[in-house]
Amino acid sequence: MNAETIFAALKPQAVPELRFDGYWATVPDLDVRAMAESMLASGVRLVTLTAMPETSGGYRIMYHWDADGALLHVVTTVMTGSIPTIADILPAADWVEREIRDYYALEFEGRAETPTLMLQETDEPGLFSRTAVVGKDLDPAQTARDAANREGESR
Amino acid sequence: MSPVIPMGPFHPALEEPYKIDVVCEGERVIDASIRVGFNFRAIEWLAERKNYSQDIALFERVCGICSNVHTLSLSRAIEQLSGTEVPERAQYIRVIVAEAERLHSHLLWAGIACELIGFETLFMACFSLREKIMDLLEGISGNRVNYAMNRPGGVSRDILDPAAVLAAVRAVSEATSKQLIPVLTTDPTVRARCAGVGILTREEAIAYGTVGPTARASGLAQDIRKSAPYEAYGKIDFNVPTSDGCDVFARVVVRALEIVESCRIIQQAIEMMPAGPFQGDEFPSVPEGETTVRIEGPRGEVFYYIASDGTDIPVRVRVRTPTFANMPTARLMVLGQGLSDVGLIQASIDPCYSCTDR
Repeated sequence: MNAETIFAALKPQAVPELRFDGYWATVPDLDVRAMAESMLASGVRLVTLTAMPETSGGYRIMYHWDADGALLHVVTTVMTGSIPTIADILPAADWVEREIRDYYALEFEGRAETPTLMLQETDEPGLFSRTAVVGKDLDPAQTARDAANREGESR
Repeated sequence: MSPVIPMGPFHPALEEPYKIDVVCEGERVIDASIRVGFNFRAIEWLAERKNYSQDIALFERVCGICSNVHTLSLSRAIEQLSGTEVPERAQYIRVIVAEAERLHSHLLWAGIACELIGFETLFMACFSLREKIMDLLEGISGNRVNYAMNRPGGVSRDILDPAAVLAAVRAVSEATSKQLIPVLTTDPTVRARCAGVGILTREEAIAYGTVGPTARASGLAQDIRKSAPYEAYGKIDFNVPTSDGCDVFARVVVRALEIVESCRIIQQAIEMMPAGPFQGDEFPSVPEGETTVRIEGPRGEVFYYIASDGTDIPVRVRVRTPTFANMPTARLMVLGQGLSDVGLIQASIDPCYSCTDR
């Protein structure tokens, strides 16, 4: 199945842009569960998800797929702090959804439970978003020392 | 009530920490859960606070075994964003180092697997062979673990003694073909411990997004070196071993055959490598944009996503390592198996938790 056909099966349909690292399509109101079912039926492999904070306050979620060696990137934006899970359809998404929650406190709706993956069980999710305001020019070694000195900080 | 047997974080097969809790009925495993994160260092967070040059050194430390694939991935991402050309000689050197890394990783795994199977002699043979590759990598790069070979626009060092590379690779190839593979494929002890154990079906491998030798041993002929060739791989003739066995034995055989293929790749790369420059003059400046990179590491596909705002510090660096994709399948593999097989089954994935946890 070629990339155009796969993107045409998305809800809503998307017209991909071919770049040197594969096909990219941005789909604002993407039905992620329909996408996961369609990809599974087509034998397309989920490579991973990437979450990235937007300056607008939401998050950009990228679903990266492999269709017979070709990379497909389906991008959507989350403004509400949650997005439906696809882990029950594609187990490949289970760990990465948990990891994204660890880093950005994004919730994946429909999961029976979302245990931490990288953080300790008692840690609050959103480690990266909590520390995002420090700015790029801050010395990370200093940040680590500060964190170590704070009471109750487990890492 | 069925007993839950916790294994780890310090566990019987490997030295890295992770935990698997197995629920048993008698000696039979009926459920399992996996816990990772013991090596979490927030490397992606750190990367967004360091410049690209510092990030090369940072990502070299994601993993102690496949460090080269991480610097190669990041270097390629910087090159893609900045439009930097890599000299042809450097492309071949990158292939040689990447395959040498695959060799030492696979030989390390083969040795550990043999020890778990109870085959001490073959464990010693594997580690002896691996030492030849470690010496080779030290000769090329000056380092045994973190080679610091990749930099945007080329490699840090030239290969000055191609004859030594060929001699080491020839020795490993012959020993693997004449000693390792015959024993691994015909010895009744190996077969008894591995055949029909730790099943991962082709359909399960697809649904779980499995990669690398673990996927290829479940009948999936996926290899980024073939499907999306990078560096000089497109000019080199090699096979991608696969098996429909779907068990630990299939994973053993696939990796053993990959050792021979890696030797073939290095031999061809040495012979085809042209003279000329092996690095650019300056560290490229990275414009605004985003890109992804995939490299076939020893354990499978390594995926990088990089976003740049045009400064010398990336906005986002996302890394998906092969063990992150493969490890959840360990739960499927151990279901219905004997408790004594759990160590070998999880080791058959060739897991790396330093990579997984980042």
